[in-house]
Amino acid sequence: MTRIHDMGGRLGEGKIPRENENVNFKSEWEKEVFSLTIALGFSGLWNLDASRFARESLEPVDYLRFSYFEKWLAALINLLYENGVIDDLEEKHNEQFEKKFRKLEPENVVGVLEKGGPTIREKKKRKRFEVGETVRIKNFHGNEKISGGHTRLPNYVKGRIGKIIDYHGVHVFPDTNAHFLGENPEPLYSVEFGSQELWGKNSSHPEDTVVVDIWDKYIFDDL
Amino acid sequence: MENNNNNNAHRLFPEDPVSRVKALRSILEDKGLINQESLDLILDTYQNKIGPINGAKLIAKAWIDKTFKKNLLEKTDKVLAKLKLSGRQGEHVTVVENNAKTHNLVVCTLCSCYPWPLLGLPPAWYKSDAYRSRAVREPRKVLEEFNLKIPRSKNVRVWDSTSEMRYIVLPQQPEQSIGLSESDLVSWVTRDSMIGTGLAKPPEKFND
Repeated sequence: MTRIHDMGGRLGEGKIPRENENVNFKSEWEKEVFSLTIALGFSGLWNLDASRFARESLEPVDYLRFSYFEKWLAALINLLYENGVIDDLEEKHNEQFEKKFRKLEPENVVGVLEKGGPTIREKKKRKRFEVGETVRIKNFHGNEKISGGHTRLPNYVKGRIGKIIDYHGVHVFPDTNAHFLGENPEPLYSVEFGSQELWGKNSSHPEDTVVVDIWDKYIFDDL
Repeated sequence: MENNNNNNAHRLFPEDPVSRVKALRSILEDKGLINQESLDLILDTYQNKIGPINGAKLIAKAWIDKTFKKNLLEKTDKVLAKLKLSGRQGEHVTVVENNAKTHNLVVCTLCSCYPWPLLGLPPAWYKSDAYRSRAVREPRKVLEEFNLKIPRSKNVRVWDSTSEMRYIVLPQQPEQSIGLSESDLVSWVTRDSMIGTGLAKPPEKFND
């Protein structure tokens, strides 16, 4: 199972559109969507993985017809709705969220943007693999705990064999964090796949490769 | 466990984005959840304070200072933290170096992950379905659309940003620029050369 956002390798796409090459925002409403999304991202009601999940959970028909910031806007509304901030257009009151909600005040903006949200954790979880090892990626059907849930394992590497070329320490696991089931930090590797392993003999060049960041849980015990 | 998020609540809102944002804003304002000054500051940061110039300065310095380059490649997060370049969407960074054998290209197939503190917000094409789909499967054809033909003697390595690790390319320094000062070199480093869809090149004024 995959969702519409998981686009790597998908056939049928045409030329790369090159309009508005040096424009961050095409209109005023896009600026508003961007700043609202960032500000409410610090509200404490959800995390980065949950907001990604909200975007990729849009119905395929919406995901494909919406422009980039229309996706952000629809996802933001959905998140506010799920968290009880918006009940419906009549604005019924829900006090539940107000206990958790943190309003982003101007004096904190620079600080929170500079700090960001590092995902590396001190927790000592032993890595199962070493740099240089050949591994096979699991061929599971998306999120292992939540049916239809968030995952950062792209479909095009499922079941494929690659080589670990870097280790990044222990990082928050998006598959649980997106659903508020804990950070469950996992060792994170860069795994390199040959183009023929991914795309077959007709790939552009046999020496070309793709490197994907892979959490330990996404890797099979054995080849 | 079932995922039970609501993916259609947004349909309660007007369809057209201008009215949609307006409706959302009025609810948030009525509830006192947003501060206009904060929103303005956020926008000002990404419109005016950060952009590809941040990355270009790093690359120019790496070209002329071998120790800096070594640290930038090996202790990236420390170097960036010291320079206050490790904020949101740049908390963890890997610098990948182009050389005579390898050309690097960065993409995010699952969304649009991009090193904001170093390059600013991504260009529209980086977020497009076409780039996200094709960059991993046919990188050479994609690069040709950017007028970049990679010789068969080189391999292309595509980095798919699936985690919170962000990638920036350290392009090769053009022969003609050797000997120039660090500040002159900054304008040779284009945004696209740090994504991998371009090479470092003379600034337009250079050939006059």
